[in-house]
Amino acid sequence: MKIMIWMLMALTPAAAWSVYAFGLGALVRILTGIASAIAAEAIYQKVTGQKITVTDGSAAITGMLLGMAVSISTPVYAIAASAVFGIVAGKQLLGGLGKNLFNPAMFGRLFYLFVFPDSILPWRRPVDLVTTATPLEILRETGQTAGVPLLDMFLGRIPGALGEISTLALLIGFSLLVYKKFVRWRIPAAAFSVVLVLALIAGQNPLFHFFAGSLMLGACFMATDPMTSPRFPKGQIIFGAGVGLIIMSMRWWGWQTPGEYIFTEGTTFAVLAMNLFTPWLNRKFKPVKK
Amino acid sequence: MNSLIRATSVIVLMVIVGFGWSRIGAARLRRRGVEEAAAAKQAGQEARKYSLIAAFLYMVAMVSVAGLFM
Repeated sequence: MKIMIWMLMALTPAAAWSVYAFGLGALVRILTGIASAIAAEAIYQKVTGQKITVTDGSAAITGMLLGMAVSISTPVYAIAASAVFGIVAGKQLLGGLGKNLFNPAMFGRLFYLFVFPDSILPWRRPVDLVTTATPLEILRETGQTAGVPLLDMFLGRIPGALGEISTLALLIGFSLLVYKKFVRWRIPAAAFSVVLVLALIAGQNPLFHFFAGSLMLGACFMATDPMTSPRFPKGQIIFGAGVGLIIMSMRWWGWQTPGEYIFTEGTTFAVLAMNLFTPWLNRKFKPVKK
Repeated sequence: MNSLIRATSVIVLMVIVGFGWSRIGAARLRRRGVEEAAAAKQAGQEARKYSLIAAFLYMVAMVSVAGLFM
């Protein structure tokens, strides 16, 4: 419960920035995610005769992460449906908190991308809400990372998903979790290291890749989910490196085949794919007692 | 309408894989000598896990290969 409260507090700067940048519509979408996730968990547990555990805060975090991973154009019913699927299929089907295979927020986001593919568009610029391309879409079309000022990307003055645009706000929240020792920091550290190396090999600015898309939110807050990420240090490093590798591979594929390849980002796929390896990584790298 | 079809398709897939594996898995466990009730419980748990993995692979494949994203 204590960790969940700190998680919610850590996500607050990015959520607050999204409300400043996109207006009250952002707050409505984040609150829809939270309310839908809590309601889905409570109803499922009531119907199946389990103890209702929504007060532990985990459903609220799932809903908040999902609400922050959509755009200002996304209809609220799409967010609600995805939160329900994420909680029921991604979390409760295997027995609830601690037994889930996939990160429920990411599983809900995959459902959202599959069922409501057009609803994330158009991307809108903060404040004036003008329709415009995201930095990763510019990269996909031009193969260049120079088109967007890095300071704008760092501060969050770029189009994108609600909670993803401000690297600064996400880092403030993540620092809080690191300070309180509530987060598996090796996972984002490994992911960023791999992204750094691959960006340098590709001759691109690594900072662009750090600040663009959902890497920061995904690596710092979703990949580090204590229930679906490896428990032991070596496993965490491999998990994080895998996340970084898949994300950069999908971005690379995008800018190598402009106009053909449909993705600009792969954080959802990266985290969910690596979630599949978590049980194996836990077995493989379990420390041996001497 | 397309959204409804897509949502239904993934749920139907999960149900088919879940029910299918719970039968197959329970039969396999019984052949290995596991008691019927225990076999059904264990196979049911496995079936839920495999139905989730199937849903994940199906959604990723459809989003990417079939180009449903755009």
